[in-house]
Amino acid sequence: MAFLLRRLAFYLAAFIAAATINFFLPRLMPGDPIKMMFASAGSELSLENLNALKLTFGFIEAPLGEQYLTYLKSVFTGDLGRSIKYFPLPVTELLGRALVWTVGLVGAATVVSFTVGTFLGVMAAWRRGTLFDTIVSLTAIFSSSVPAVVVSLITLFVFGYTLGWFPNGYAADPMLDPSWSWDYISSVIYHGTLPMLTLVVVLTGGFAVTMRNNMINLLGEDYITMGRAKGLSDRAVMIWYAARNALLPTVSAFAIALGAVLGGSLVTEVVFNYPGMGNTLYQAILARDYPVIQGELLIMTAAMLAANFIVDLSYVLLDPRLKRA
Amino acid sequence: MSLLTQLLHNKKALVGVTILAIITLVALFAPMLTEYSPTQRVGRPHQPPSAEHWLGTTRLGYDVFARLLYGARVSLAVGFGAGLLITVIGTVLGIIAGYKGGVVDEVITFFTNMILVIPNLPLLLVLAAFIGQATPLVIAIILGFTSWAWGVRVTRSETLSIRQRDFVKSAEMLGEPGWRIMAFEIFPNLISIVGINFIGSVIFAVITEATLEFLGLGDPNTVSWGIMLYNAQNSSALSVGAWWDLLSPCAALAVLGLGLALINFAIDEIANPRLRTGGMLARWSGLVRMGAGKL
Amino acid sequence: MSAPLLSIRNLSIDYVGAEANFHAVKDVSFDIGHGEFFGLAGESGCGKSTIAFAISRLLRPPAIILEGSQILLAGRDVLGLDDAALHALRWREVAMVFQSAMNSLNPVLTIESQFYDVLKTHTGMSRAAARERAAELLGLVDIPTDRLPAYPHQLSGGMRQRIVIAICLALSPKLLIMDEPTTALDVVVQREILERIHKLRQELGFSVLFITHDLALMVQVSDRIAVMLEGELVEVNEAQAIYRSPHHDYTRRLWASIPRLTGERVAQDAT
Repeated sequence: MAFLLRRLAFYLAAFIAAATINFFLPRLMPGDPIKMMFASAGSELSLENLNALKLTFGFIEAPLGEQYLTYLKSVFTGDLGRSIKYFPLPVTELLGRALVWTVGLVGAATVVSFTVGTFLGVMAAWRRGTLFDTIVSLTAIFSSSVPAVVVSLITLFVFGYTLGWFPNGYAADPMLDPSWSWDYISSVIYHGTLPMLTLVVVLTGGFAVTMRNNMINLLGEDYITMGRAKGLSDRAVMIWYAARNALLPTVSAFAIALGAVLGGSLVTEVVFNYPGMGNTLYQAILARDYPVIQGELLIMTAAMLAANFIVDLSYVLLDPRLKRA
Repeated sequence: MSLLTQLLHNKKALVGVTILAIITLVALFAPMLTEYSPTQRVGRPHQPPSAEHWLGTTRLGYDVFARLLYGARVSLAVGFGAGLLITVIGTVLGIIAGYKGGVVDEVITFFTNMILVIPNLPLLLVLAAFIGQATPLVIAIILGFTSWAWGVRVTRSETLSIRQRDFVKSAEMLGEPGWRIMAFEIFPNLISIVGINFIGSVIFAVITEATLEFLGLGDPNTVSWGIMLYNAQNSSALSVGAWWDLLSPCAALAVLGLGLALINFAIDEIANPRLRTGGMLARWSGLVRMGAGKL
Repeated sequence: MSAPLLSIRNLSIDYVGAEANFHAVKDVSFDIGHGEFFGLAGESGCGKSTIAFAISRLLRPPAIILEGSQILLAGRDVLGLDDAALHALRWREVAMVFQSAMNSLNPVLTIESQFYDVLKTHTGMSRAAARERAAELLGLVDIPTDRLPAYPHQLSGGMRQRIVIAICLALSPKLLIMDEPTTALDVVVQREILERIHKLRQELGFSVLFITHDLALMVQVSDRIAVMLEGELVEVNEAQAIYRSPHHDYTRRLWASIPRLTGERVAQDAT
């Protein structure tokens, strides 16, 4: 319990750090930060609306400390300002819609690639030095060292443009209204297949290599030999003695890799024109829609922290040494 | 055996080093390998590959092959430059945190963990968005200053265990100053960790630079693989069927990534003998098959 | 003497290297009788653990047991067994205590599960029956039954090694191999564990193969001792005889390296 509380306190600090970066970035840039932040609005923004935005981001006639507190207050009351491009749409609403798609895409891809990668890593370590191990290791290294943007583009070229098996963009058929009907859901799955496939290709190799190396490091441990000496089946030793223990360092490596997972999804969304957080960020950057760009950093950080917390929870469940601590 | 001789005895490393060497040579001797300038129209737009233009031309009529050769320079420079910066910062902070301990360690560890949970690419995108169009140099610098956290973490934990070893203790008792112990007693024992960190950082920097440029945050006048991707994407290369425009830089990035990853994997095997599979397992299987013995 | 429990003949084991093999065990032969406490001595790296692992076929690549070797356990040819027979032989006939007391129990399973998995595999016992049997076995090594739901990290090193011994006795094996079982423990715990093994051996009648580089301890507890040097067996004899009048020069040097003994044999204390 104490462990989880300590983690929560740390995540709060990390979130404030992200907000602090947001606060100082425009102020550190040369030129007038207010002009820079809201320039893309041109003259469309009424004085009243502009003042409301300035207040949200802490641009008030007051010392820096007070400006900072004003900004933090907006952030913690859930006011991330309004999009300049889609004025007066609040940033939280814009990003809330996008977040659903990203969480779905990244979540599904992570579950698939973690399961497949871990399984392959376990098998490769158990049959170390065999042809199977060599093929898995080399494929895994290769797939995890190719940039996500390259994998996305090649997937899009092969399955989208050349073979025409899957659509080249969007999360669902734009002619359909969102609903829980089979038509809509199947359209979502159909549109999500290629981006998900890309992410699975990018992520699986990393999980496989991590799990393989962790397993191999453990295979010399006495408790594994004892498991074999006990006459348990190879399968039982592999799963309950070796893999079960190798999973612990793999899960903590996974927590560190989460940032890369998010980064990978960001590019993939742009390539496949998928309406998630990454594509929204891309559009906002093109339009220099700074409130949205800043909001992205906060929401993505929050998503990372939430994912980290889930990893912490599963770690506590997996490692008996932490349960009592 | 030194790290280098061991590397040369490892098949994976050998393939990786060869790939890297070829790309480096190509980058250095680009002007001798192509008659075209990478920044001039030399043909009609979107010409497919031909004897004249080996990899076709871009939307603007540039020669794709020439741009690929010259672009290697930027990818390698940013990759190795930023990789070096990331490694230096990570190693120095990691050794200091691990060796000094106490408040210094706590402060460094706190910031390291914090950077690890703030998603890196979105942070870079936000930074780049405020900077505007970033030249390769600017990209290398912001990569260097935002991506050292992983290196600190592994270097620190390795330093913690080396600090307990006898030769460090005896150097301490002889009254050697802290910086000498860190630089001459601890650092040489971290060389394989530093190597893994360096190659890993180079891979990360190459990938991230290409990604940032693809997303339009680079300087469009640069000749680099990321900008090639950006231009190809913006000229709808795929939908007009000009696959060469897009797939050439894709292939180049994939090959560079493969070369670096092989080197990284090999260093990992050398640093951690348990991971080595090498020739002995092949010989072992051979002997068992021949009936020389069993387990 | 009737047919020995374990009979090792011409055992040779290599570790395959990238270019040449390392000969870890060279043409070793010895017997262990029923109920005998047999000590195997030698400096680390001389091949004694490799022999221990070979007896229940636990070696992993790149080790290789060379053709022409023979291991007979209660008359059965261990090297000729198929996988199924091998799995049945392990623990039921040969149980093993490993070097590191701190690390031979699986850290993520409870003590109870580590009794249960072996009992279920070999006897198909139900969880409830296994719990009862485990409690009984813990009694043999004086560990309270309420430690069954504990995880290894919640127990001391001495307790863990006693639990390993209790798990070893679960199927009443004929041979108990102890590969430097007390190196990680302090002297008091070490002595207590060996005394307990001695007592259990008298009650249950199993043989012991005791591997250590602690010669003083070995002379005290063993019936017979074999001395190994660089993969070869240089001398085998009764413990007292080999201690008082060693034949081989290496044995003499080994003996010279340990302090003179004053205590009585543990075996005599216990009876």
